[in-house]
Amino acid sequence: MLATDHAAVELRGVTKDYGRGQARVRALDGVDVDFPTGSWTAVMGPSGSGKSTLLHCAAGLERADTGQVVLRGTEITRAPDAALTELRRADIGFVFQNFNLIGSLTAEQNVALPLRLAGVRVSKREIRATLTSVGLGDRARHRPRELSGGQQQRVAIARAMVARPPVLFADEPTGALDSSSARVVLDLLREMVTDTGQTIVMVTHDPLAASSADSVLFLSDGRIVDRAARPSAKDVADMLAGLEDGERHGREA
Amino acid sequence: MVRLSWSGFRERWQLFVGAILSVAVGVALVQASLQIMAAAGDPPIPEGLDPLEEAQIRDNYDGAATLMGIAMVIAAFLAIFIVSSTFAFAVAQRRRDLALLRVLGARRRQLRRLLLCEGVLLGLCGAALGFPVGFAAVRIQRWLLTELEFLPDGFATPWAGWHTAVAAGTGLVVALLGVLAASRRAAKVRPLEALLDTGRAGRMMTLPRWIFGLLMLASSVGLFTAARSEGADTDVAVATSMGLAITGGLALSMLSPLVVPLAGRVLGLLGAVSAVGRLAEANLRDGVRRSAATAAPLIVLVALLLGLAGSLGSLAVAAGEEQQQMIDGDLIVESTGARTEKLASLDGVAVVSSQISVPMIVTITVDIGDPEELEEEVFSSGIVAVEPDAYRRTHRQEALAGSLDELSGSAIAVTTSPGYRVDLGTTVTARVLEQVSEREFSPTVVAVLPETLSGSDGILVPMDLFTPEERANWPAHAVVQLEPHADPDQVVEAIRSADLGVTRSVEEWASAQTAEQQDENVGVLVVLMGLSGLYAAMAVVNAVVISSAERKREFATARVTGLTRQQVVRSALIEAWAVTAIGVCLGGVIVAGTMTGIAGGIERTLGAAVVDVPWELAGAVAGGAFVVITVATWASVRAATRIAPIALVSARE
Ligand SMILES: Nc1ncnc2c1ncn2[C@@H]1O[C@H](COP(=O)(O)OP(=O)(O)OP(=O)(O)O)[C@@H](O)[C@H]1O
Ligand SMILES: [Mg+2]
Repeated sequence: MLATDHAAVELRGVTKDYGRGQARVRALDGVDVDFPTGSWTAVMGPSGSGKSTLLHCAAGLERADTGQVVLRGTEITRAPDAALTELRRADIGFVFQNFNLIGSLTAEQNVALPLRLAGVRVSKREIRATLTSVGLGDRARHRPRELSGGQQQRVAIARAMVARPPVLFADEPTGALDSSSARVVLDLLREMVTDTGQTIVMVTHDPLAASSADSVLFLSDGRIVDRAARPSAKDVADMLAGLEDGERHGREA
Repeated sequence: MVRLSWSGFRERWQLFVGAILSVAVGVALVQASLQIMAAAGDPPIPEGLDPLEEAQIRDNYDGAATLMGIAMVIAAFLAIFIVSSTFAFAVAQRRRDLALLRVLGARRRQLRRLLLCEGVLLGLCGAALGFPVGFAAVRIQRWLLTELEFLPDGFATPWAGWHTAVAAGTGLVVALLGVLAASRRAAKVRPLEALLDTGRAGRMMTLPRWIFGLLMLASSVGLFTAARSEGADTDVAVATSMGLAITGGLALSMLSPLVVPLAGRVLGLLGAVSAVGRLAEANLRDGVRRSAATAAPLIVLVALLLGLAGSLGSLAVAAGEEQQQMIDGDLIVESTGARTEKLASLDGVAVVSSQISVPMIVTITVDIGDPEELEEEVFSSGIVAVEPDAYRRTHRQEALAGSLDELSGSAIAVTTSPGYRVDLGTTVTARVLEQVSEREFSPTVVAVLPETLSGSDGILVPMDLFTPEERANWPAHAVVQLEPHADPDQVVEAIRSADLGVTRSVEEWASAQTAEQQDENVGVLVVLMGLSGLYAAMAVVNAVVISSAERKREFATARVTGLTRQQVVRSALIEAWAVTAIGVCLGGVIVAGTMTGIAGGIERTLGAAVVDVPWELAGAVAGGAFVVITVATWASVRAATRIAPIALVSARE
């Protein structure tokens, strides 16, 4: 059923407005983009440029106003809630900057949660192994509040690794981390792409993080303004600076 | 899912303490009530009682069983109320967690099940805790009912397994009903809310709340209009106004998220001078969920308790007023049949009408409006023997049909009731129940009397049906009219020295009867409303404790901004006091409506608007509410501000 030559996620002419009348904001403005299967794409742009909105629309958490979003062959812009739930169970995983974990569950329970929700049995050994691979083998029974921010982030990644969702959406996964913790997280993401062929769409502000991805997408005012394949961190930083400058000049003009 | 429920439940146990306790108290009360009802339903009737005593004992047992039945319903209803408001809080607090579950692939059905599971856990905890408490509750209730003379001393209430089973089942059902609305709300949480920084708190005024609140409001307006309408006599006015106390209280508590902030605005115009006061006022309007949850139980309690107490009290006062209006006499003498008959011979006494209570059971076949069926009404009290002529001269009372003139020989006068109709000429069965003079006869109805508020002296029979020997020791009261120029003090003195009975003025006598009725009302109110008061207190403390715990971070922010811990506590106290005042005042509005409705009915019946506003009770309720809320707020805010503020402000969830 799955056409492998298809992109994992395709957006066609997607627009998204927030608010009404005077307070109306166009967060996405005719976005066309493919995220190829087994690739890692970073999404960059100034604050308020629509990165998170793009991610939410692509993942079906937010409905696009116009245009189409096709996720692994399914058109989701008009899909009912039940169908979207099934997609989240089988096809999508999430890692965000904050609020990743359920506070009342231990690290290992959090990691096992998506599979448990889907009614899939998981062995404790597998959970432990995954936590060990993100360097938290000895923290399995800790609750989120007993973990540091970086450790919580890694638990969230372990959760995405165990469920092995074909598409992983990440919003600033390294935002709150120091550079060495960020490095660990980025290496884990890279493993997911190369070892299991998962697709990753990652929003980030960090040029270093973006340079770990296969390609980088630049967003400004809800529009895709540039795209680069495997740029260096410096290239990314320059492009971003240019974008922000351009935006400033645009506003002054 | 069960594991997730369990961990969520354990994590937030403080949140659920109040709800568990209220389910536990509910379970205990159901168990105790069942135990008493089962024992009273098949009571041990001592051997050798005469039928009248037996009938009265059975009446008392029935009264006890009815009271317990009502108490049970109230307990279950209020427990559902508390559980549902607790879970409403729980869902509001956990929107982000619930949204995260949706992001991770949980179906709506699963979230609903998660909440229902928590409800079951809560019900189980409540039932387990309620089981031992039930044994204490049965003692308390037995003691109360014995004090109120519903039950004899040493009444045994054996325990049976099914009492506990039914009580535990009720606890579970109560918890599940309580969690139902919250589970539906949880299922509506959108996954995206997990990612937004500002989790929407969710609307307070949900559609069912609107519908139910407006429905209750409309009913209240309807009831008030009915009570004030021309055709409403006292009975109708009291019934509709008591209904108004219930529907009005529920309406305002349902609409409290709208009404409380509005009242807060009015209050804010009056006060809010200091910075702390202004902060408190802003918080009151901002924390709608919190202030509404605290005020709602107060509104219901004040409306119900004061509304019912005021209704019953006014009815008793009006009955006293009616007695005064009806009796045309100077003195009332209470004694026995033989002695009241000697009053006429005293100097200065013009007319004496003795009303002698006859130990008799009267069975009347009445028309209840159904031509196919006639019903038997049995009376065992309020049957008095009178001298028709003297009675008419001392009582301003016109028969609706027939005439008291004809009350001689085998005749009887009866009072109507809204429930049935008695026709003139009906033959009734009367059985005199004293061992010496036990006999049965069949008098004919010669007069139908209008209903009275007091319901006393409901059936009149002619004096000459009984021999003076029979009447001699029966209790009696006599209405005495004096000669125009007689000195009442002298007559009173003469009665006293001849030992003919206790003398009082008509006014004193009527108010003594009123007081007796009031005491009985208070007893019944204590059993039923004491319970509601307990629940209202639990609900209020629950709301205060939950919301203080929820505000830890807010308090910390206020302290980092420069407020001292004392100022934070004071601001929270001012806010709590304002909410209390609003709750009490809104309840008072309903009570005022109730009393106005009753006053109208009484005025139409008696020509004077006599009402009994329960000021003392009102003071006690308001004072109690302030004390409970002050203590709960002080303790919970102190607890919530114990940690150094910076630890909370910088902490991440
Ligand atoms: N729920 C909302 N209601 C109204 N406007 C919104 C909402 N969400 C986003 N916006 C607006 O849409 C635009 C895009 O927001 P978005 O969150 O996608 O930006 P972003 O690129 O993720 O920014 P950042 O880097 O700061 O996270 C912004 O102008 C924002 O103000
Ligand atoms: Mg963003």
